[in-house]
Amino acid sequence: MDGREMRDYIPYQVEIVDIDRVTSDSYLISLQILDREVFRYRPGQFIMVSVFGLGECPISIASTPTRNTLQICIRRAGKITSGIMDSMIGDVLGVRGPCGNGFPLDFMKKDILIAGGGSGFATLRSLINFIADRREQFGNVAVAYGARTRQDLYFMQEYKGWQMAGIQVAVTVDVGDQGWTGNVGMVTSLLDRLEIPPGSAAICGPPVMINSVAARLMEKGFQLPDIFVSLERHMKCGVGKCEHCMIGPHHVCMEGPVFSYDRVRQYL
Amino acid sequence: MISYLKKADLPDLLQAWADKMDVLAPILEEGQISFTTWKGQPLDLSANALVSPAKIISPREEILFRYIQESGTYRFLRPDQKPRLIFGMRPCDLRALQVLDRIYGAPPPDQAYLDRRRSAVLAVLNCTNPGPGCFCAALGAGPDADEGYDLLFTDLGNGYLVESGSPAGIVLIKNSPDLLPAVSDLADSLLTDKGRVVGLCRDQVISSFPGMSVERIREGMESAEWERLGQICSYCAGCSFVCPVCHCFTIYDRGVPDGQRIRCADSCMTSGFSRLTSGSNPRPSQGDRLRNWYLDKFEYILARTGLAGCVGCGRCSQVCLSPDICLRSFLESLCSREMTTNKFADAGESKGEGKSIRK
Amino acid sequence: MQTIPTTCIYCGCGCGLMLHVEEGRVVAASPQINHPLSQGHLCLKGWLAYQFLDHPDRLRRPMIRKGERLVPSSWDQALDLARDELSTLLRESGPASLGVLTSAKASNEENFLLMKLARAGLKTNNVDHVARLCHAPTLAALSSALGSGSMTNPIVSLRKSDMILVAGSNTTEQHPLVAFHILQARKTGAEIVVVDPRRTAMARLADLHLAPLPGTDAAWINGLLRAILDLGLEDRQFIEARTEGFEEARAALDPYTPQMVEQVTNIPADDLVLAASKLGSANRAAFVYAMGITQHYWGTDNVQALANLALATGNVGRDGTGIYPLRGHQNVQGACDMGALPAYYSGYQPVSSSRSRFERAWKTDLPAEIGLTAVEMMDAAQAGRIKGMIISGENPMLSFPDQTQVRAALEELDFLLVVDIFPTETARLANVVLPAASFAEKEGTFTSTERRVQLARGAVSPPGEAWPEWRIWADLLTRFEVDCLYESAAQIMEEIASLTPSYGGISHSRLGTGGLVWPCPNHDHPGTPILHVDSFPIGRARFRPVEYKAPSEKPDEEYPFLLTTGRSLFQFHTGTMTRRVPLLEREVPEPFLDISPPDARQLGLKDGTYISVESRRGRLIARARVTPDVNPGHLFLPIHFLEGPANLLTSRYRDPISGMPALKEAAVRLRRL
Repeated sequence: MDGREMRDYIPYQVEIVDIDRVTSDSYLISLQILDREVFRYRPGQFIMVSVFGLGECPISIASTPTRNTLQICIRRAGKITSGIMDSMIGDVLGVRGPCGNGFPLDFMKKDILIAGGGSGFATLRSLINFIADRREQFGNVAVAYGARTRQDLYFMQEYKGWQMAGIQVAVTVDVGDQGWTGNVGMVTSLLDRLEIPPGSAAICGPPVMINSVAARLMEKGFQLPDIFVSLERHMKCGVGKCEHCMIGPHHVCMEGPVFSYDRVRQYL
Repeated sequence: MISYLKKADLPDLLQAWADKMDVLAPILEEGQISFTTWKGQPLDLSANALVSPAKIISPREEILFRYIQESGTYRFLRPDQKPRLIFGMRPCDLRALQVLDRIYGAPPPDQAYLDRRRSAVLAVLNCTNPGPGCFCAALGAGPDADEGYDLLFTDLGNGYLVESGSPAGIVLIKNSPDLLPAVSDLADSLLTDKGRVVGLCRDQVISSFPGMSVERIREGMESAEWERLGQICSYCAGCSFVCPVCHCFTIYDRGVPDGQRIRCADSCMTSGFSRLTSGSNPRPSQGDRLRNWYLDKFEYILARTGLAGCVGCGRCSQVCLSPDICLRSFLESLCSREMTTNKFADAGESKGEGKSIRK
Repeated sequence: MQTIPTTCIYCGCGCGLMLHVEEGRVVAASPQINHPLSQGHLCLKGWLAYQFLDHPDRLRRPMIRKGERLVPSSWDQALDLARDELSTLLRESGPASLGVLTSAKASNEENFLLMKLARAGLKTNNVDHVARLCHAPTLAALSSALGSGSMTNPIVSLRKSDMILVAGSNTTEQHPLVAFHILQARKTGAEIVVVDPRRTAMARLADLHLAPLPGTDAAWINGLLRAILDLGLEDRQFIEARTEGFEEARAALDPYTPQMVEQVTNIPADDLVLAASKLGSANRAAFVYAMGITQHYWGTDNVQALANLALATGNVGRDGTGIYPLRGHQNVQGACDMGALPAYYSGYQPVSSSRSRFERAWKTDLPAEIGLTAVEMMDAAQAGRIKGMIISGENPMLSFPDQTQVRAALEELDFLLVVDIFPTETARLANVVLPAASFAEKEGTFTSTERRVQLARGAVSPPGEAWPEWRIWADLLTRFEVDCLYESAAQIMEEIASLTPSYGGISHSRLGTGGLVWPCPNHDHPGTPILHVDSFPIGRARFRPVEYKAPSEKPDEEYPFLLTTGRSLFQFHTGTMTRRVPLLEREVPEPFLDISPPDARQLGLKDGTYISVESRRGRLIARARVTPDVNPGHLFLPIHFLEGPANLLTSRYRDPISGMPALKEAAVRLRRL
């Protein structure tokens, strides 16, 4: 957080080394840092990614620090993400970070429920793969994830690996189609199909989804301070100075993006 | 260390400084006071400038770095800062810099701000002629300064009491012994004069909004009709551009493949400030945004830095493009609520002939 | 660090601006505290007026077309080519084959020189500019009604009004500093009546809002006047002393009962009568209007009807009264004043009667035949009659009606010279593109909507090799062997003053804060804020009977919605400047379509969905913005967006008197994507 680039805003340079298609309109981009030795981060942190000439925007880190490659998941949402989508292997981008606090794994309980909606799932992938790599440190782990349609589901090819690592995985879509035999409905509808003893939760998605999942979890015996939410805000500096990302008195880029639900419930 | 400068000697002192660095001072241009590069022009110290000298340190637009592409990778260049001396900054604007110091100085410290801050010498002028909308005293931000300056000038009539506030200030006094002689034997009487002059000014400022304080403002915020105020707001964002504490910024690039990454002032009064690319907006109405601006100044910045995010300079109210929703109207309505025998028309209904124009 | 006083470049308010310069770059803009109009305030665009100046898209070098591409060239090459091509066309096809569109964003000096080039160099009166798309009806109607086509009072005069009628003007968004004074007037007791088909912010802040069907203005204006006469509230003394033609006009008002007006316009009869009584009983009433009144097939009639109303109630010639046509651009008033008009020289001196004066001054023959208007030039270009054009600082590809026709017209030309600060859709079709200095990079005067002539001072150098536009026209004038020797814009103003009585006393040295308000006939004259105090230029003002006639295009079964187009507070016109300012572009980044909740429900259309909007001329895609501020049957589109150009949908129908296109009368339909 205190790196040189966080003080003078000059990014480190990264090279795109791989591009994988995640869905029809999103890519998983693997990055190699060029002018820095190590890049340490925690699941739930994010980076400020630059396309020089277009600008910089915050992107969640989608990879786990327990593996070698830094990865981000990009969807064409604005000018800068479009610029990233149009980049090719070998192109150089800029990175500042890691920013934010990440999931407080030291304080979280061993039993974890992970719930994601839409593109927020990229943040959670970092946590899920971390848990898969350190499986013995955790207890009962379940993933509940929903997207609009089957085509919008992220990382489908990894669900099997998670299940094989002893992580429950349940998936739903808002709108089914022919050939979809899975759940249709909101993420909350998955919570009854999973074994979820009261523990900690990590939720990432739109506020409506966060609130309904948290309510359901509390019915199941979860405590508010054990429910962690990763929030999204318009960001520019990533260091708590430009004031775009404030939620109440809190800077999402510094005190978050992961907050315990009791702290931010009133703002959602 | 203290000294005394005869008024007639001020231009010579400025010249001695101008020989070594860029001196910025309040100069009358087109009937309006602006902090511009001093090249011998007569100064106008009769009122505070509409554009705060804090904007010299924290400008509305600056280049963060240049990027130059060379065979696929980039080289980056940061601009240098040249030394400056700002003469005539008032305690309210100095206080604004102190707030910004705590915000920009918090880890990770903001290099661009610090470079500009550290390369500027501040020769602050205690206020003796506040504007009608000023309320610095209510916030502890004026009308006099007690720390944070390199030099502090107080107008005692025929000359200025000059006090150092830092090692750089001591050096400046020592470097001009003829203009700034040692006056330790007169110290007591000069300081007494200063106390009198400053006290008069403080009384004047307090009388505009008697009993005003951060607590009263926060109480008023609880019952303010934000949605109604938001409907009247003209979206000019002038308040946030002119406020010396407002520092929200955005960053944008200019130029491909070589170019500049620029930081420019942003405003939380615009809808796009908090809007996500998905289109959802945590502060969807102008009332929400107005309320957030007040909260930031009187709660969040106070909690974060220990200092209020408002210095009572009155500029926001001067430029407000809508009738009766400015901070000054808000303060007036708070004051009028207290006056049970208020003979004047309801503050906020009619204020007479428009806004104050600093003469 | 320096502070340079100047004037804002955007709307016709002409606010006072200070530009702050650090190391050769403008780093901020702030208000002029002592400016008589803006008084220390600015709108968001004004606060950010400097931010497009050093955008990398700025045109920096002259360019010449080679095949499909425009390639950089030198000034000499480019100017020689322009001179050669234009003189060839002049020689082979005659002056009628040439046309000139001046810039409503260029200075008075630049407009004057380009007008001079057209007439003295190219020998054509085919010179016009975008006033044709905004206040041509005002010029026509108020010239004939009052003898002068301009705003009659300064904007601050509204502070003294008891009642202000705001018609077809989204004032808080288009002219924020006019709205400022209107709302200040309201604080001190003025009653505000807004007439607008949409519930704009101004309408919400008003005391009374009347929402007529778009295009029915002559009916409600006549209805107001008739109601005032029925109430006996007209100003008999004023009518008898200062006007003529009242009886004939009065007789034509018979059909316009409140009930008839309600049937035609949808304005409830009671509301109309209420508005009439407010207006009639006011001591000082003011009439503020903009595109909602003018951009119609019968736009001139609409303005005349308003003039009738103002005259009958004696509301001309005193402080607090008056007629306020709000001009959109800084400097469209100046472009008109400088004679960038097919039938007038500077100062509205008619070509028909003042030709010899200008021939003597310019020492050359000048054309006698009245020229074509801007939209007529497009017709002529499409038909191959006009073969060569100069277009300066305008973007007809976006701003003119019927974009398909405009493209065909410009592509048909043999030669097109474009001068601009940014590459536009129009510049891309040019043979020669010349880079110009912006308002902050040159000296020149600009005349705001209240006839205020102000001096803009250069704060920084123009980028690359860009020239102030006046240098370009001076150079071409020399290449066309017209006598001219200007070393500064100030010298051009000397010539203007010598030939233009209303500007006779204007010189750069006299223009301090707030400039001077014309008429300013000589060097001791302080300027004339209020017009028509004792008499009208034509002696007595003239009533003219106005009949309400149907608009050019009405909704029908195939195209069941009526579309009006207009502006947003955050963007300016074709967006050339504002779309390059980060905060402004972020506020409104794409075309939106305002649609009422009942209409949206019927179409199953949710807020934020993209929808296709189609007229008989073309189609575009916009994002639906469901709002109760428009009535069912009425849709609204902003004009700023290249990717959704509203003028793809508008028609070629034009006001027969002024040539104004009926931009607010398109019938459209919606199709889901």
